[in-house]
Amino acid sequence: MVGIKLGQYVQGDSLLHSLDPRTKIICCALMVLGVLINPDWHLLIFYLLTTALAMKISGMDWHFASRSLRSIRYLLLITFAFQAVLTPGNPVFELGLLSVTREGLRLGSINLARLLILYFVSMVLLRTTSPFKLSAGIEALFLPLSKLKIPIHDFITILSISFRFIPTLIDQAVVIKNAQQSRGAQFDAPKLGIRLKSYLAILIPLFETSLSRAGDIGEAMDSRCYTGRPNQLRISRLHMKPLDLAIIVFLLLGSALGTFISLMG
Amino acid sequence: MDIEGIELLDVSKKYKNARAANAALSNVNLTILPGQYVGITGVNGSGKSTLVRLLNGLIQPGRGKVYVDGLDTSNPGHLPLIRRLVGVVFQNPDNQLLSPLVEEEIAFGLENLDLPLQEISRRIEWALQLVGLEAMKHHSPNLLSGGQKQKVALAAVLAMKPKYLVLDEPTSMLDTISRKELLDQLKTLHGEGMTIILSSHNPEDLVQADRIIVIDQGSIHLQGAPWEVYRQEAELAAIGLEPPGLYMLLSHLTRNEYSIDGGIKTTAELVQYICSRL
Repeated sequence: MVGIKLGQYVQGDSLLHSLDPRTKIICCALMVLGVLINPDWHLLIFYLLTTALAMKISGMDWHFASRSLRSIRYLLLITFAFQAVLTPGNPVFELGLLSVTREGLRLGSINLARLLILYFVSMVLLRTTSPFKLSAGIEALFLPLSKLKIPIHDFITILSISFRFIPTLIDQAVVIKNAQQSRGAQFDAPKLGIRLKSYLAILIPLFETSLSRAGDIGEAMDSRCYTGRPNQLRISRLHMKPLDLAIIVFLLLGSALGTFISLMG
Repeated sequence: MDIEGIELLDVSKKYKNARAANAALSNVNLTILPGQYVGITGVNGSGKSTLVRLLNGLIQPGRGKVYVDGLDTSNPGHLPLIRRLVGVVFQNPDNQLLSPLVEEEIAFGLENLDLPLQEISRRIEWALQLVGLEAMKHHSPNLLSGGQKQKVALAAVLAMKPKYLVLDEPTSMLDTISRKELLDQLKTLHGEGMTIILSSHNPEDLVQADRIIVIDQGSIHLQGAPWEVYRQEAELAAIGLEPPGLYMLLSHLTRNEYSIDGGIKTTAELVQYICSRL
């Protein structure tokens, strides 16, 4: 659990680190939408190249990036294999009763690329944006929705508190794990049943302490007159520069061009 | 009630899941006047935390009334003002720091008070300076030590400029140095006129209070100046408490017919007193 990397901010002074969080959130949202709505190769290649460039600029270690893929390797493999085998079309080769089709390989590759883009784009966003800036960016972007009586401040507060308490919960889980291990829990037992039982011995006390913590947090918020007002200080620290706008325009134009080419094709 | 201060009138509190005989508080009558330094002590489960939570309306009494400067805590309309008046620092700093940055943590309460941005920034600087954590302004609370976290929690409450500062076992998770720093800080704040209500199961923490209230099984068992309360060793022992070492020494000296001034609060004062008599 100590090795959890997804969502972990890494301090740095790269160009991506210095961008306004709203720029990164908008770009990330654009790419996610593009990938989900228009699974066309032209657009996917543009997004793959943009993502690779962003990873390079952010100074992300390629070894780390490839290692981190291990955690989702089964998802990637299953996605690809199912598409390759279950999509009807011209068979390329046969594995017993199953036949791998050309259309299946194409669809599998597209879905693989979509997953990789989603994974790495969110990784770049989270690794180059501190939780503080991320909350500020989301709050600033969604602020107009509060005029429609949507409790956007409450949502941001929940998000912000979640960011704050993830490390605390991880620490708590490690403490419980050590305590259970010292009392005989076997987290690396060869039998799956024993391993599951051991992990259950972490989950139940962790859940219980989290509930108790939630009660304490609620009291601390009430004590400090929580009313769900917008976080002026947080938002006041955000400044969009010309470069931020240029990056958003670049991504918008690239997405529009990719969509146009796919429509023409 | 029209007078300034906090008043509990015949307050009882019983939690829903508690056994019939065990009320968290029963028939508590208490008045805390502005400018006082009140210590609340008792063993674990004696009702200290329940009492603290009643003071700013976090929980409501089952019977009786709690008034803060004449405002009834059972009136929901009074709660925003009551919570401005009564700032509470809780036991576990990890469960009360809500924001990803120290600066934002201090700002949390100030934003809720709807203060202008300039005033928020000014108060953040002031509060952090007060607890000596200016350098930690842009740090994550996760990276601070237990003592520093508790100081941030204190600064966050102080920034709201409460009239009454209530602390619920704030020293229980601190090391000796952090504990001393916090208690010194409270002494300074009291010297500047702030009302302090400090709850602790460790009687040693309360020696600088003007008045000590000993709670046992939900009732006020003893109360008075530290000297008066702590010399009742047998009474305290019967409910599982022990007077601080200094007071045990003073008590022994008195029992051996050495007349000692009751105003002595610290070892240094005792040494000075004895030296002056030699």
